[in-house]
Amino acid sequence: MEPASRLDNNHELSLRDFPYIIRWRDERCKRCGRCTAVCPMFSIEPSVIVQRILHSEGGMPEPKAVRRVVTIIKQSTDIGRYCTGCAACTLVCPNEAIEPEYNSRNKFPFHKNKGGHPYRRGGRRNDPRPSTLDRLRFTRISMLTDPALDAGRHEFRIRTYLGRILPAEELPLKIINGKLDVDKKSGKFIPPVREIYPVMIGSMSIGALSPNMWEGLAMGVTYLNEVENMPVVMCSGEGGMPQRLLKSRFIKYFIPQIASGYFGWDEIVRALPHMVEDPCAIEIKYGQGAKPGDGGLLMAHKVLKLISEIRGVPMGVDLPSPPTHQTKYSIEEAVAKMIQSMSMAWGFRVPVYPKISGSRTAKAVLNNLVRNPFAAALSIDGDDGGTGAAYNVSMDSMGHPIASNIRECYLDLVAQGKQNELLLIAAGGAGKKGNLAANAAALFMLGASAVSIGKYIMQAAAGCFGDEYNRCNVCNIGRCPRGITTQDPRLYRRLDPDVVAERVVEVFKSIDVELKKIFAPMGRSTELPIGMSDGISADDPAVAERLKISYVC
Amino acid sequence: MKKKVTLKGIVKGRRLSSRVLEEEIQEVVGKGARNIHVLADGQHGIGGRIWPGGETVKITVEGPVGQRLGSMGMFGTEIVVKGSASDDAGWINCGADITVLGDVTDGAHNAAAQGKLYVQGGGGARCDTMTKHNPKFDPPQSWYFRDVGDTFAEFKAGGIAVVCGVNPRNPENILGYRPCVGMVAGVVYFRGPIKGYSETDVKLLDLTDQDWKWLIVNMKPYLKAIKRPERYKELSRSIKDWKKLVPFTAQERAKKKDFKMSIAEFRSGIWEKSVGKGGIFGEYLTHPLTILPYVTTGDDRRFRPVWNNYKYAPPCEYACPTGIPSQKRAQLIRADKLHEALELVLQYSPLPASVCGEICPNLCMQACTRGRVDRAYNIKEMGSASLEIKAPKPQKKTSRKAAVIGGGPGGLSVAWQLALKGHDVDLYEAEGKLGGKLELCIPRERLPQKVLRKEIDRFKEIGINVHLNTKVHRKKFDLIYKSHDVVVVACGAHRPRIMNVPGSKDMVPAYDFLKGINTGDAPDLKGRSVVVIGAGNVGMDVAAEAYHCGAKEVTAVDIQEPAAFGKELEIAESLGTKIVWPMFAEKYEKKNGKIYFTDGTSLKADLVVISIGDMPMTEFLPPSVHTDKNGWIQADDAGHTSNPRVYAIGDATRLGLVTHAIGHGRTAADAVHALLSGRSYNMPPPKPVAPYEKIKTAYYDVCKGEPFAPVEEANRCMSCAVCRDCHMCETVCYNGAITRKGYEDGSYEYMVDSDLCIGCGFCAGICPCGVWEMEDNI
Repeated sequence: MEPASRLDNNHELSLRDFPYIIRWRDERCKRCGRCTAVCPMFSIEPSVIVQRILHSEGGMPEPKAVRRVVTIIKQSTDIGRYCTGCAACTLVCPNEAIEPEYNSRNKFPFHKNKGGHPYRRGGRRNDPRPSTLDRLRFTRISMLTDPALDAGRHEFRIRTYLGRILPAEELPLKIINGKLDVDKKSGKFIPPVREIYPVMIGSMSIGALSPNMWEGLAMGVTYLNEVENMPVVMCSGEGGMPQRLLKSRFIKYFIPQIASGYFGWDEIVRALPHMVEDPCAIEIKYGQGAKPGDGGLLMAHKVLKLISEIRGVPMGVDLPSPPTHQTKYSIEEAVAKMIQSMSMAWGFRVPVYPKISGSRTAKAVLNNLVRNPFAAALSIDGDDGGTGAAYNVSMDSMGHPIASNIRECYLDLVAQGKQNELLLIAAGGAGKKGNLAANAAALFMLGASAVSIGKYIMQAAAGCFGDEYNRCNVCNIGRCPRGITTQDPRLYRRLDPDVVAERVVEVFKSIDVELKKIFAPMGRSTELPIGMSDGISADDPAVAERLKISYVC
Repeated sequence: MKKKVTLKGIVKGRRLSSRVLEEEIQEVVGKGARNIHVLADGQHGIGGRIWPGGETVKITVEGPVGQRLGSMGMFGTEIVVKGSASDDAGWINCGADITVLGDVTDGAHNAAAQGKLYVQGGGGARCDTMTKHNPKFDPPQSWYFRDVGDTFAEFKAGGIAVVCGVNPRNPENILGYRPCVGMVAGVVYFRGPIKGYSETDVKLLDLTDQDWKWLIVNMKPYLKAIKRPERYKELSRSIKDWKKLVPFTAQERAKKKDFKMSIAEFRSGIWEKSVGKGGIFGEYLTHPLTILPYVTTGDDRRFRPVWNNYKYAPPCEYACPTGIPSQKRAQLIRADKLHEALELVLQYSPLPASVCGEICPNLCMQACTRGRVDRAYNIKEMGSASLEIKAPKPQKKTSRKAAVIGGGPGGLSVAWQLALKGHDVDLYEAEGKLGGKLELCIPRERLPQKVLRKEIDRFKEIGINVHLNTKVHRKKFDLIYKSHDVVVVACGAHRPRIMNVPGSKDMVPAYDFLKGINTGDAPDLKGRSVVVIGAGNVGMDVAAEAYHCGAKEVTAVDIQEPAAFGKELEIAESLGTKIVWPMFAEKYEKKNGKIYFTDGTSLKADLVVISIGDMPMTEFLPPSVHTDKNGWIQADDAGHTSNPRVYAIGDATRLGLVTHAIGHGRTAADAVHALLSGRSYNMPPPKPVAPYEKIKTAYYDVCKGEPFAPVEEANRCMSCAVCRDCHMCETVCYNGAITRKGYEDGSYEYMVDSDLCIGCGFCAGICPCGVWEMEDNI
């Protein structure tokens, strides 16, 4: 028999404890069931209630009771079925009869650890405040002082270099037949360098993302290169890449990632002899801004045929990526060994760079890379980045914001005179509030040579429901209502890869215009204003002091 | 003052400032000069801003001309420069005709709104930018004989520019780099090669006849002005020598596609051409590569409803140790089959009126979901209602023989079931009457004799060989064992547990005490004090009977919280029984009529009845039937013992309620039947109990305590987990996906059309009985 507690309200949570409360309008609802059919959490369900109405219509008490049993849409108070606020119900409701409402006074974190399992989720840091990047303004406007540029009329060259740039004096040049040329006989290593668009799509794996989402992004990136002549590149994330892409000429727009799980790499290595182009670069993942120092796990239920084939693993097993790479025992060794191996795989023709979580130790890694002639860049991922799955505590409490991290690394390079040789890629929070171009431009001016985006493009290209009020954020459980982070075809087939691709193109075309609208008034059109920190100011003296930029008010 | 006035930019070797020369020009014009010769020396804005008031003022300029020649020039002003002009010639021209017999440098005719600029040579960079056309006037014209520099005609918002392309400085491109950026109105006619233009703003077209007409008409005065009339023939040779650049109209711009190539074109023409049909994942995906809506049907639903009729056990059935399906009785009554309903129970128990109706604590009713609305479905009365029902007919004889040892509830149950299945059953009972503890120990007050009698009589009707007064000892057992295929031991537990304290031999076992009363050997306890050790339900029966025998006071003591409950407790307490705990008896002194406890207290006790449980007497069993050291037979839930032909049930295996013994007997009968039929027996796993929250109590109104009537009672049953055929699901389904299918035998099922069903869960959410469930649609 069931314990009495189930039958009463003892130990039951009230809807007031929940982060989102369903506002259901009885009078508008036609009971078509569309909302309950799509609710990813089964937070809402049809049910029946009884209404008992007492009438007394005569001139004296003449009681008449009318009893009506009516169908309703009911919200569950089971914490396992909490409403995430995704509003898929609202989306499909033909009558505007249902909508989740954020409850700022919820007690969710107090209860979301059933079975002693801490709260795990996907998404981002639940901090709705604007980031430091959003508090920076471009204050150095060319007013008769510099040639004022016109974003609409002037031609801009918004490009950056991915690869190690040798200082001029180290380039093995000689004059051949009266022309300056590379001295190939010098035996000196000339690092590979790519010219790319300075905003790139960051590492989101096949597995974390559904095939429709990943292909949509890949198509969008390829379109930008092939049709729009914008050399936007995309990092694969850890989890391999499909053979068809590896063997196509489009691989040059992609950056395969190797991370601690090494998933899919045997498939990539075996594809090497069949590759018609080199990839853009190789990213070695050491950390992720959203969950610094923590590893990844692709749950067994996501490991279906597709993932199994691409990652080269059996179906239906958990795929853990440990927090650290195995077989590496020091920075020196770890970085040198990995960069060597990955460079060697493509005959030293492909730039190789590590990606780390934002950290107060980033400079240690940076200085190691400065001494390694094969290191192409350092990618730093700040704490406002996203993830497909992590512990809430890792997301909300761990990590380093990108602004000051990138700044101190850049200034460190400047102090060594190396700022144009080793590029810094900034990630983790660009476009947090939707201001991608402004955030990216601010990062360039703080010292980043390129900016990597993930969460932003999911929101912009696929309409991801998630936000910093913990809306949706269930990327980890395979029930993504948009079809972005699920391997269930019934869900990911909601997402049209062509629409995703189109949105990627629209997003990049429009940030290109916005970047021009920032750079033109500042008088920059040819080279990216990397480190042009006199161009930006903060509205907070402490921020200004920390970033070594001016304070305005 | 029509005479020609000459003004000099250098007077006595000193250059006049732009301001002074301008003042001089304005002054002479004001005084009527209409033909002014200016010998300039780089002064700014010569010839502009002259308001001749309907007349014509001719200004000839020689010498180095400064910037913004003729700027803000007005209608009636005619300027001729004998040589080249500097930047911004004709700036914001408001109607002046400006002829430059040389080149113009950068920015010529910038923002011109009316008037003409005739250039004999070429133009510099950014000429003709921002020109306008005020509809009140003719558009401005800019004529360049040779070519123009880079970024020509930017943001042109009206006006006509003509570039004749004669002897160009750059023979490959007469319009310079990237002309017409931001051009929104006007036209550029040109003759000669160009290298690109702003394709987002303008389009390259052939001239229309109208264009051509305009061009050749207006070309003549131009060529005449720049003194090149001889070129007319060459320039007007063919319309095909000329092209024009015109801006897209606002409408055209609005219609312009944002994408150079649609994504669909890109997919088929570029993407899949390289990565293969079906995209980069095409070779791994097995599903159709189409897009699904949010709300889907068929295989694409995430969940599907399933009509799980009777998948769960209703709580009453689940809780009943005998396993009586009480909801089925209600269902039959609701179907107008009252008699079948009352007969049904006899398939489960031979003693529904005595047990369900009288002495059973009715665990079924305690579990009943209806109890959560008002009061449980009255299964007790349902049991009593079957008292008058005739015994069911046994099945065809099998000629297999079974012996049952013990005529208590368990023995009666197993004998009844085996006999109904057609087996020959010999039932051995040590006492002179059947019924075991029901007959011997249960106070008559709780179990009226005539009810039990009636049911025992009905029991006998189905042809069981009852051997009364037959005590089975070891030898007898062997005989029985030999002469039967199977022996079921249902001997109960009759050996009282006694306490090892002084005076315990003077205590009377409860079994003996109660048996004495029921067999007519009641003690006279008038005015006596009685202490019952052990305050369980048997202890309560003892207490009640002691009062009936005249006892003055009865105290029941226990070493722990008393286990008594239900009617037994109620009766005993209503008679005055005191229950005290924890109390540990230390000794009983019968002579003093006192019992002492370890806490130093004592109670008056003329009689002490010990009621701390019974143990079975199983010495008659052969060693092949394992018992534990206290005599309990080791048997499983189906009664199997260590001897495959010997089964054991009821209190002989473990203590329990009467209903447990009956249930154990029923299950054992199934096992025996399987053995006798030569089949192996696998006890069916119990169905899980129907979860309460699946039953929708909202449908049921709270009832007041009306007297029992079978039909009303059946309507109160909420039919947990069993379909009541109410059609709610069929009616609620918005998409009409559910239909009821009836069969000839009267059975039915509800079915789902998966092509209509969206998996919304309404059927499951509102099903009164919790029959519909949503399952993963795999």
